[in-house]
Amino acid sequence: MKWSVLACNGMDKAEGALAREIGMQVAEAAEAEIVCPVLLNRAAKRYQDVLASTALVVIDGCGTRCASKLATQMTVKPAHKVLVSDQVKTSGISLETWLRLGPAELAFAENVKDQVVSTLTAETEARAAPAAAEIAWEPPADYLMVPYDQFEFRVPRVGYLFNENDLWVRVRGSRGRVGISDYLQQSLTDIYYFDAPELGSGVEQFGELGAVESSKAVFEIVAPVSGTVVSTNEALIEKPELINEDPYGEGWLVEVELSGWPDEAEFLLDGQAYSETLTGKAAEGGAAGKG
Amino acid sequence: MPDKTFMGVAREMIPWAPTIDYQKCDFCMECDEFCPHRVFEHRNGDVKLVVANPTNCVVFCRACAKTCGPDAITFPDKAETVKFIKSLRCGQGQQT
Repeated sequence: MKWSVLACNGMDKAEGALAREIGMQVAEAAEAEIVCPVLLNRAAKRYQDVLASTALVVIDGCGTRCASKLATQMTVKPAHKVLVSDQVKTSGISLETWLRLGPAELAFAENVKDQVVSTLTAETEARAAPAAAEIAWEPPADYLMVPYDQFEFRVPRVGYLFNENDLWVRVRGSRGRVGISDYLQQSLTDIYYFDAPELGSGVEQFGELGAVESSKAVFEIVAPVSGTVVSTNEALIEKPELINEDPYGEGWLVEVELSGWPDEAEFLLDGQAYSETLTGKAAEGGAAGKG
Repeated sequence: MPDKTFMGVAREMIPWAPTIDYQKCDFCMECDEFCPHRVFEHRNGDVKLVVANPTNCVVFCRACAKTCGPDAITFPDKAETVKFIKSLRCGQGQQT
């Protein structure tokens, strides 16, 4: 698989300078094509062929996420994303506001580059490998329909439990599959990226289980259950729109080996109870707002 | 039961809302433009944005912070908040 890199070149923040450095290092190590954000914005045709024939890595400097927004504007879906300000926070490195990178910043950039390249290598291998045998998760048999204004929100009548942040879980044995509700996907509108959690990482109930991004928002996935991430939906790398098209089926996000089940069910709502919260949510957030 | 609840607990009992670091905030208003719950309000003067309606904030939502370029918005610790909500539920006979 061939990669391309679109990195923030922000010259008003240290994170921007770091994003540019990481972008260059990733491009060198992964033999990826560099997509200059300024030129892309000015002359998109220059990159038409590159973007059509490669998987795009987007490296944002800060939460303004200019590079991501530019990719969205060009209707390109990123295959992998990095937010440098988050990486800085996690690492504990203290950044000077001065834009020139010192030895500590360069070492940090190299670390991030190594992580990204290792993820890209794993993704390339995963795409080449045959799919493992999976549990058969049949689609919902029956939905409750919640009308609101010109919208209608579907909620599976049985088999799905919800937290109040609009995430569902369904359970088979010790395995839980997690996704977002129809209400949430309609509120976020077109989802262009699922930032999946790391395989093998642990999560507590109501902890963070990755994020989904649309042109409207970066929405944190609030875990409905505790456990260890054992699988993420790889189909979403190429087709994140499955989350909008089939939120209770093909658009699932993550599978977790459960560690707090069944006690944690006490903090979740069944289909009926969840459907009763939706009219209020839609009225308060505006059906076009988020939950 | 109160008007607004979260996990069966009255919303006003749950201390979950954004805090703005005015040393970092550049009043770009991206957070306010994004949040549909009217948590923020504009003000005249030096401090142009305040957290006016903290209980409108959706518990565990941190989406406004993710829109913030200068990283000026923080939230309470999530695990501590979960623990606190669970303790309140125990105290009120685990209503759901």
